[in-house]
Amino acid sequence: MSNHSAEPADFSGDEPEGLDGHTIEELNDYLDRDRTPTDASIDNSPGCQIALGTLERLRGLTRTLLDRDALAEPERDDSWVSSILAGLTREVHAGRDIPITHGSPNARLSVTEGAVRGMIRAAGDSVGGIVTGRCRLEGDVTELGEPINVLVEANAFWVDRLADAEEDVRRAVRAELERHTDLNIEAIDVTIEDATASLASTE
Amino acid sequence: MSEHAPTSLTDADDRTLAGRAADGDVRAFEVLVRRYGPLMRAYATRILGSNAESDDVVQEAFVTSWQQLSTLDDGRAVKSWMMRIVSNKSIDRLRARREHGDIDDHDPQEPIERSPAHVAESRSQEEALSQALAALPEPQRQCWTLREIADYSYEEIAEQLDLPTSTVRGLLARARKALTREMEAWR
Repeated sequence: MSNHSAEPADFSGDEPEGLDGHTIEELNDYLDRDRTPTDASIDNSPGCQIALGTLERLRGLTRTLLDRDALAEPERDDSWVSSILAGLTREVHAGRDIPITHGSPNARLSVTEGAVRGMIRAAGDSVGGIVTGRCRLEGDVTELGEPINVLVEANAFWVDRLADAEEDVRRAVRAELERHTDLNIEAIDVTIEDATASLASTE
Repeated sequence: MSEHAPTSLTDADDRTLAGRAADGDVRAFEVLVRRYGPLMRAYATRILGSNAESDDVVQEAFVTSWQQLSTLDDGRAVKSWMMRIVSNKSIDRLRARREHGDIDDHDPQEPIERSPAHVAESRSQEEALSQALAALPEPQRQCWTLREIADYSYEEIAEQLDLPTSTVRGLLARARKALTREMEAWR
């Protein structure tokens, strides 16, 4: 790689003509600086102006190159997706063990934090127009009775009143957690972002 | 609720999907795979110069993404975050190739004589660019792709490809010159 002379003829002396002593690299740097400070010897050179135009065209094409490539990608069948999903290890997101009480004093039962998050998602999703996002259990869930705050993020679509949707999610999540866990829920904090606009823009 | 069709995961924004996936929801991750898989594959193909290894690289990138998603603070950035992972995996392949001597320092394919007329035949500027890129010697093409598509700095490229920064600078200059020439010829 250090021996540049090993690659003959493909670059030496091939600066385009008419750049009035400037190089493509200089012009490219000039574009990088948004043509400031102005350089009269570039701005007044017809050859440089043509080259700058070409460089800008190149940039424009480059910006959309990947998107065009992606569109031209062959349609992938479901087996491609499922082979990717099959390679995932589910355990990595299990989180903490959350104890649950049981009639028999000798039995020590627990449920994973990941499973509880799954319950929260399902409860949130059951509210019309809501897609639940990330959930957090704040507090020491590994100790029975410790006060826990639940944080839930969600997207809302075509929801009339976000405040109502938040209340619905809060109620659904609380009911679900009370039914299936012994968590001492202190508060459920729901943050909903209206995503209807983004939906419309992608259609 | 409303007369609209029920919303589904595929409607959710990146932040919501990344958040769910970080929490262990495979279905949300699947939506991300479908949403960005083709782009990631195109990206890997650009960096690697062929699509022979793209599927493997993208698969590895998704596995890593899945494992590390919980470390991503802002789910809105999941696309560029995953793209960076693909690009790192792709560069690992380039390095492995070099260690195995699959590629020497010279252009593996002799540069094809590319007359301006030839490029002008292509149907569009897009094609002209693709053809001009394909005709670049491998090291030039790699540097250019990392700089202009992956947005790496000169120093990052030098580090990733184990080249002196000055060499990267020279390769980029030549690539840019060649591409400019081809684009001007096309015009």
